[in-house]
Amino acid sequence: MIRPVELHDFLLSFFASASIIVSGACYALLFAWARLAGRRAVLAWAYAAYALLAASVWLLAETAHFEGYWRVLTGAMLAGYFVAPRAVFRLCSATHAAEHDEQTRSAISRPSQENPP
Amino acid sequence: MLNIAALSGKIQEAFGALDRHHLNGGQRLAVKYFAVAMILFLAQLLFGLLAAIQFVWPGFLFDLVDFSVNRMVHINAMVVWMLYGFIGSVYWFLEEESGTEIVGLKWGEIAFYVLTGAVVIVVLVYLLIQTGPGNDATRWLVNEGREYIEAPRWADIGIVTVMLVFFYNVAGTFAKGRWSGISGVLTLDLVALAGLYMAGMFYSTNVTVDQYWWWWVIHLWVEATWEVLVGCIMAWSLMKLIGARRRIVQTWLYIEVALMFGSGILGLGHHYFWIGTPDYWFTIGGFFSALEPVPLVAMVVHSIYDAGVHRFRSTNHPALGWIIAHTFGNFLGAGVWGFMHTLPQINLYTHGTQWSASHGHLSFFGAYATINIAFFYLAAQRWRGNVWMGGDLKDNGWKWKWSMILLNLGVMGMTVALLIAGYEQSFIERAVEGSTWGGYFAAQNQPWFVQAMLWRLVFGVVTLAGALLLTWDLLTIGAGETRLALVLEPEEELAAEPTVAVAK
Amino acid sequence: MNHTPLWASESFWKKVAIWVTAGSFVLLIVLTFDSMSKVQAGSRRVPAYSVINQKIDYRFDAQLNRYMPVIGGDEPLFDRPLSEAEAEALVTLGKKTTQAKNCINCHTILGNGAYYAPDLTKSWLDPNWIDAGNRENLMLAFLKNPPGNARTYGTGRRMPHLGITDEEARGVIAFLKWMSAIDTNGFPHNFKTLYAQEE
Ligand code: HEM
Ligand code: HEM
Ligand SMILES: [Fe+2]
Repeated sequence: MIRPVELHDFLLSFFASASIIVSGACYALLFAWARLAGRRAVLAWAYAAYALLAASVWLLAETAHFEGYWRVLTGAMLAGYFVAPRAVFRLCSATHAAEHDEQTRSAISRPSQENPP
Repeated sequence: MLNIAALSGKIQEAFGALDRHHLNGGQRLAVKYFAVAMILFLAQLLFGLLAAIQFVWPGFLFDLVDFSVNRMVHINAMVVWMLYGFIGSVYWFLEEESGTEIVGLKWGEIAFYVLTGAVVIVVLVYLLIQTGPGNDATRWLVNEGREYIEAPRWADIGIVTVMLVFFYNVAGTFAKGRWSGISGVLTLDLVALAGLYMAGMFYSTNVTVDQYWWWWVIHLWVEATWEVLVGCIMAWSLMKLIGARRRIVQTWLYIEVALMFGSGILGLGHHYFWIGTPDYWFTIGGFFSALEPVPLVAMVVHSIYDAGVHRFRSTNHPALGWIIAHTFGNFLGAGVWGFMHTLPQINLYTHGTQWSASHGHLSFFGAYATINIAFFYLAAQRWRGNVWMGGDLKDNGWKWKWSMILLNLGVMGMTVALLIAGYEQSFIERAVEGSTWGGYFAAQNQPWFVQAMLWRLVFGVVTLAGALLLTWDLLTIGAGETRLALVLEPEEELAAEPTVAVAK
Repeated sequence: MNHTPLWASESFWKKVAIWVTAGSFVLLIVLTFDSMSKVQAGSRRVPAYSVINQKIDYRFDAQLNRYMPVIGGDEPLFDRPLSEAEAEALVTLGKKTTQAKNCINCHTILGNGAYYAPDLTKSWLDPNWIDAGNRENLMLAFLKNPPGNARTYGTGRRMPHLGITDEEARGVIAFLKWMSAIDTNGFPHNFKTLYAQEE
């Protein structure tokens, strides 16, 4: 079912799994920031973070001897951690869509134009 | 008898001093829960320190108050203070959220005193009697001897009864007033939370069966039902704090439920790798626990999104600060630290080492201590008469800022020390020496391990200092403040409109 | 007034939440029934309590590529073969004693518990007991007077007096022996038993 990590790969495997989540979070954050601020340059950094994530997944798959089913998990992680932040961001903006109209009314941002009656 | 009556009168008087006329009934009860929660939090840290000292000087309190006793009180106090915080938070917003008075407030009061009395007795028995003969009576009266749920059986039954009263108050009050998305999720989650506790209430000689159900309580609490309970508390708090709109927080609450339960329920499999259960749990536990960080990442992204939109305008800075700490703490402690050791290829070595302790500290603190503290600040604000707690506080708010720094620094320092110890332990004891007793002690004697235990103690003291400062701040913040709290309006019209129910 | 698309709407996510939760829970129940049937005492993974009448070892299985318990010939505990019922009673006494004495708040059992003292999962097989013939006596003496028989390997960490009686100690030893025969999917890895040490 599983083949344990070799001794000499020990630190690498922990490092790889921590790096997956951290770079995944960086990718998600940078992606959100790029969209929020409309900055293309930040988007490039977001993809760089994703590249790091992909490299970490590969490192983990190698050091932890993923084979058979575990390869499927590797693919799922690669795809899932690519799509999830985009989906989350789209959800954020879609669920907040109604708020943006209303925000004009609250004191938070610009002066109001489309004030609901 | 007279003495007991006089004593209980005194106790009621002491808690009565916490009442404020501008609080509603549920909030007055909540303040009592918060007060006990803070006391238990300090007790937790104190006993954690005693246990940490024993790691460095094993002779300390040997055969008097042994490591097992200190550790048990440490983790039990933690679970109980967090539950007190949760119950208090729910009582706090129950009347506002339902739009009516609590149906059985008197019963709620009685349940509070019964529960607190039971907690005191259980702790005294832990400390003074400690162990008993290997029969059923010990399990019923002294100690059940199962980590986190050591409370003897009589107390379990008492806890369930008290929870029933709590549940009656929650469900009954919403049914009498109005339901909302938050209250629907909350009510169903409480059913699950109490039901799961009962999975830990029977004896089995078969240790595999024993641990199978034990994990139902532990894992399905902290990685499923507690997360959702906190989601409900957060949803409500964010409406108050930054004026978030109900429809949005409720949509997100449902998203969170879907993601948390969708990954967390079957993520349970990551505890079934080595306890005798079939090996298909490798596949299931590996897959679903790899998904568990997703909702935590989603929360971080969402909070950044919100921050971008709301620019951190809030009615209560300390509370918002702790909510941000919660978002990141939950992500780091549960997401990153959890994922690091969750795949069986790695867990084979890290299982049952200081690695787990490192993760346990950061996750419980990051996910649950933080959110409770945030709510304590929300409560303190109203308790003082809904006073100003935005920027430019008196004394520049140094107390809340420093206690936040010290607590986070302390816990993070302990976590890193334990991580180093855990790495060394899994390497030497598990991988090289094959987990024999000799291997265990070889790892414990390694200089890195020895020093890590010393550093854990140092950062433990930092943590305690932070908690003491926090207590002082909670007792004094807002005293003498004359400005009223900032009002964030966009909520108003929606809160008034009764939201259609989950359960209707 | 509301431009929220369906997939971002409250009602949509409410349904998703309900279905995902219900689906996961049903799956968990199904798996629980299956797992329970496979871990009853007397199953292939969790042996009958009378396994304490036999020799137990733990070895690398090349075919499975992991360590596996190996159940061998007769080796009754304290040289007294027990019936299934007697064995269960003794292991039960031991299990209750481990709970009553709070072992798990210093040790780990099947890897779960506290990290102040060694794991007990395979302690019956630990090379620390040196000689299989004398092991029961050493364990008995140790459990009845832990500080007096402490072997702290230089850490200074001793097990305290727990008031374990002779009968309870025998029960605990039976429990530990039985537990060492559970198939734990290869945890702990690389563990060399006292038999392996003897060879
Ligand atoms: C807020 C949420 C969480 C809390 C409070 C928490 C807490 C804990 C604690 C206290 C333990 C040690 C249990 C013991 O005493 O034996 C533990 C074990 C574990 N946790 Fe978490 N955890 C959380 C989330 C997660 C997540 C999201 C993951 C995975 C991605 C995870 C993976 C694990 C694993 C694999 C173990 C077993 C460690 C071992 O084999 O010894 N946890 N958790
Ligand atoms: C003064 C600060 C603290 C000290 C000195 C301390 C010390 C300890 C010690 C010595 C243990 C036993 C570990 C072992 O068995 O080897 C422990 C366990 C634990 N502590 Fe703490 N602790 C502190 C604060 C906290 C905080 C703030 C939390 C969470 C909010 C926490 C949660 C836990 C948990 C969940 C465990 C069980 C871990 C496991 O079994 O994996 N502790 N602590
Ligand atoms: Fe878990």
